[in-house]
Amino acid sequence: MNDGTPTAPTSTHVAEPGHEVVEPSAEDFRRARQLPVEDDWYKRAVFYEVLVRAFADSNRDGFGDLRGLTDKLDYLAWLGVDCLWLPPFYDSPLRDGGYDIRDYRKVLPEFGTVEDFVEFVDQAHARGIRVITDLVMNHTSDQHVWFQESRRDPEGPFGDFYVWSDDDTRYPDARIIFVDTEASNWTYDYVRGQFFWHRFFSHQPDLNFDNPAVCEAMIDALRFWLDLGIDGFRLDAVPYLFERDGTNGENLPETHQFLKRCRKVIDDEYPGRILLAEANQWPADVVEYFGDPEAGGDECHMAFHFPLMPRIFMAVRRESRFPISEILAQTPEIPHNAQWGIFLRNHDELTLEMVTDDERDYMYAEYAKDPRMKANIGIRRRLAPLLDNDRNQLELFTALLLSLPGSPVIYYGDEIGMGDNIWLGDRDGVRSPMQWTPDRNAGFSACDPGRLNLPIVMDPVYGYQAVNVEAQSNSSASLLHWNRRMIEIRRQHPAFGLGDFHELGGSNSSVLSYVRQTVDADGHRDVVLCVNNMSRFPQPVELDLIAWKDWTLTELTGGVPFPAIGELPYLLTLPGHGFYWFSIQPGQER
Amino acid sequence: MSAPTLDALLPALIEWLPGQRWFAAKDRTVSEVRLIGQQEITPADAVPAVAHAVIAVSFTDDGPDDRFQLLLGSRPEVSGDLEHAVIGRVADRVVYDGLADGEISRLLLSLIVSDTTVGSLRFVPEPATEAPIVGPGRPLLGEQSNSSVIYGERAIMKLFRRATPGLNPDLELHRALRRENSGEVAPLLGAIEGEIPGDDPDGGVRPMTVAMLQDYAANSADGWSMALTSVRDLLAEGDLRPDEVGGDFAGEAHRLGRTIASVHIELARALGSERLGADGVAAIADWMLERLDLAAGAVDAVAARREDIARVLTGVRAADDGLLVQRVHGDLHLGQTLRTPRGWLAIDFEGEPSRPLDDRVRPDSPLRDVAAMLRSFDYAAFHQLAEWETGNEAPAYLQRRAQEWADRNRSAFCDGYAAIAGTDPRDQMAVLRAYELDKAVYEVLYETRNRPNWLTIPLRSMVRLIDDPDDARDA
Repeated sequence: MNDGTPTAPTSTHVAEPGHEVVEPSAEDFRRARQLPVEDDWYKRAVFYEVLVRAFADSNRDGFGDLRGLTDKLDYLAWLGVDCLWLPPFYDSPLRDGGYDIRDYRKVLPEFGTVEDFVEFVDQAHARGIRVITDLVMNHTSDQHVWFQESRRDPEGPFGDFYVWSDDDTRYPDARIIFVDTEASNWTYDYVRGQFFWHRFFSHQPDLNFDNPAVCEAMIDALRFWLDLGIDGFRLDAVPYLFERDGTNGENLPETHQFLKRCRKVIDDEYPGRILLAEANQWPADVVEYFGDPEAGGDECHMAFHFPLMPRIFMAVRRESRFPISEILAQTPEIPHNAQWGIFLRNHDELTLEMVTDDERDYMYAEYAKDPRMKANIGIRRRLAPLLDNDRNQLELFTALLLSLPGSPVIYYGDEIGMGDNIWLGDRDGVRSPMQWTPDRNAGFSACDPGRLNLPIVMDPVYGYQAVNVEAQSNSSASLLHWNRRMIEIRRQHPAFGLGDFHELGGSNSSVLSYVRQTVDADGHRDVVLCVNNMSRFPQPVELDLIAWKDWTLTELTGGVPFPAIGELPYLLTLPGHGFYWFSIQPGQER
Repeated sequence: MSAPTLDALLPALIEWLPGQRWFAAKDRTVSEVRLIGQQEITPADAVPAVAHAVIAVSFTDDGPDDRFQLLLGSRPEVSGDLEHAVIGRVADRVVYDGLADGEISRLLLSLIVSDTTVGSLRFVPEPATEAPIVGPGRPLLGEQSNSSVIYGERAIMKLFRRATPGLNPDLELHRALRRENSGEVAPLLGAIEGEIPGDDPDGGVRPMTVAMLQDYAANSADGWSMALTSVRDLLAEGDLRPDEVGGDFAGEAHRLGRTIASVHIELARALGSERLGADGVAAIADWMLERLDLAAGAVDAVAARREDIARVLTGVRAADDGLLVQRVHGDLHLGQTLRTPRGWLAIDFEGEPSRPLDDRVRPDSPLRDVAAMLRSFDYAAFHQLAEWETGNEAPAYLQRRAQEWADRNRSAFCDGYAAIAGTDPRDQMAVLRAYELDKAVYEVLYETRNRPNWLTIPLRSMVRLIDDPDDARDA
């Protein structure tokens, strides 16, 4: 069942005589109801990233929690999202937003309990919404009992769970990722008297995946949550699992071998669940994380397409389609059961690792006029402030997100155009509480305002009295209603999720046009044409649609039929930052 | 389609020719069309039948004849799709422009792919290239001087409309660049070569390039329209500088400079380069002065500054250890560049079409191409202002903005060029300036005759090039 390796009894480790590390098992809990197995649901889904601590507080402690999130599921079902992605909600000292996990099988007490989590998944499934959660495999918190044991007892069962060394010179080719805070990938531990390896913060020691017991322990952590009923994992920081001399420690073959093993567990024991890789690498390297194309992909079902996002921003600033055209042209084919995850913003900064130096300088100049906005190699802003709250651009960017190849991931609050608070430390500026109402604490919590985990955004443009769900629900012209309509339109056309992608080009470099096309098992063809004006000025464009001669265009938001496609290039005019979605259908006479 | 039937078509051609975009002599009245060469590609009774023809066109003004090539298709009847291409009816056949017929373009491609000779026409694939899948082509719309068909999104075949004896430099240079595996041009895939009677009535035939087949640069946009997008973005801003607006073009200009430098290096490697001695340089200066006198005779503004201009033009002699010359593009401007998702390409290596072939293939300094690009950045910068309401000058602050755009992008182009070439074109400022002023004077003459609205653009540059010879601000 797991490729012949003996299954270690990982729920109990004997640390030393009379000293046991006991971890809970899924049998100890109720399980959530399951949705029917659908093989390609993740290709058609709209994902929604929601931070538990920032969404809704049910117990007035100033922290969002799982019960609060469960209470808001009706809103998310109304919005029309298909799958929620929860960043880490595990027990953690919270020195890295929960990515520093202290216990893989326990919920952060402020968020609730494992029982609360099961109830949340059950209620989400009752509404047809799936749930995937973050899992950090690469490292733990330095407060994890594994690390505590490892540093205390080098000879004990956990002695080899981390990467230890007598000096700090090994693996010199591995870059330092958090350049703002870390000077080295090695940190000295005075307890054990050795250096430990860490690709991220020095309070996050890397696990030693060369130790079979670590692999077993991690796979058992996967099983624990899958048994409780979740629909998959986003695997954090996957490129860095292994270290090898003379390499940069990224994308090593051993890492891929381990992912294949995880995938086999999913396929054999949990069909219909998915793995989504976070590998902030160039697309040509990221496709490796889908696994063998011959097998249709045998590692992760999905991976984030990181370089696309900054290119979308750059294309609109340059009023040129080429930043997007270039990166899509450089994106290799992916196995047939694989899918990209694409996003405009997430809880991390606007990632700029995947642009060249020139472009990075440019992005800084354009989007971070205030130096506080730079964080690591990125920019900490939400979508609306990045776009100067320009409704036309917000719509254009969202239309691109919903129509470019890949499954879109919406960041909580962006559907109402929430702002950020750049004066908060680290990446908290984009993690402020969800703005539900114009009432106290934006309806997020009934606690004393001073108890709030993070302050509500209060500035005159983006503050909760101006931007909130309640007000936007009552206005059919709001950004919220617009987003809901677009998600609904996307759902009606499988081509958005499943279709191939063909860029049409055209002589106007400010206009990005493409066709998405899919044919289902019954031979029904769904063809969607998307035309996007990257310029703030009105633009004409002539499109070569001769392949669909005599077919007709129907605009998708209003259903208005456009003239049939003839011999000549198809002329369209677009307002500044305008876009069209059309369905292309055979003409009446066919 | 035998010869007598083609002759019967000539009266119809007199009507048809002036309506074709590639027919250059639109302002002259055709007096006679003569058939001076023909080659049937299929049997005359095939459906469709196709023949290659070379015609000589005479005019009522008794000026020099023009010669053009045609690919003539014929069928007993034509369907609606071909009606727009019909030239006339001859005997029992309708004759039309063959490139409009997908079956004919498919045939031409298959003949190239299979390396075929039909009479005097040779259909040759380029060695060691992957042949495109044979299928019908579709005519490219909106072309000026030639006619092209596109095969899928894979290949494009260009029929040279002007019939000129000799190897067309476009084909010659693409062939050379293909041997260098150039990534800066659309790779050559094949050609159709034929013959044409020499200019000497008693002489035999000379080779002629009929058409060339190359990779189709899908999803591309031309540099001129992209540059205008950038300028438009700048001029719409009240107070931002060119490096502050979103539409900044300097990154593209820099990449374009790199591309052109690579083309020059590849051309020199493929076809050689030499150092021109004092005599050769003097010949170039004399030729520039000839063009100057031509312009001075027609435009007062040039005549008034003739001596000053001549002084700058003779700066071409400043290259004290001689001038390095090689084959160059010869007619470079932003409209001859294509931005593709993989970078920039240079296209159309025919040279200035109005100049005789001998001039166009003569080795010249790569600085001629660089200067031509610099002129093109000036044109892009001031194009929108030149279209300003007639009779009124654009406000001075907009002119300053436009000048800043030109300076920034000219400089970025030179930086990019220097990064690849290893030498900065601005290191030979006197020579570069001579080439640029030569081009500007030619533009003044051209705009005076053809587009008076645009005259201010080269005139402004001409004055600046004379009066600020040491101005380091621009290239």
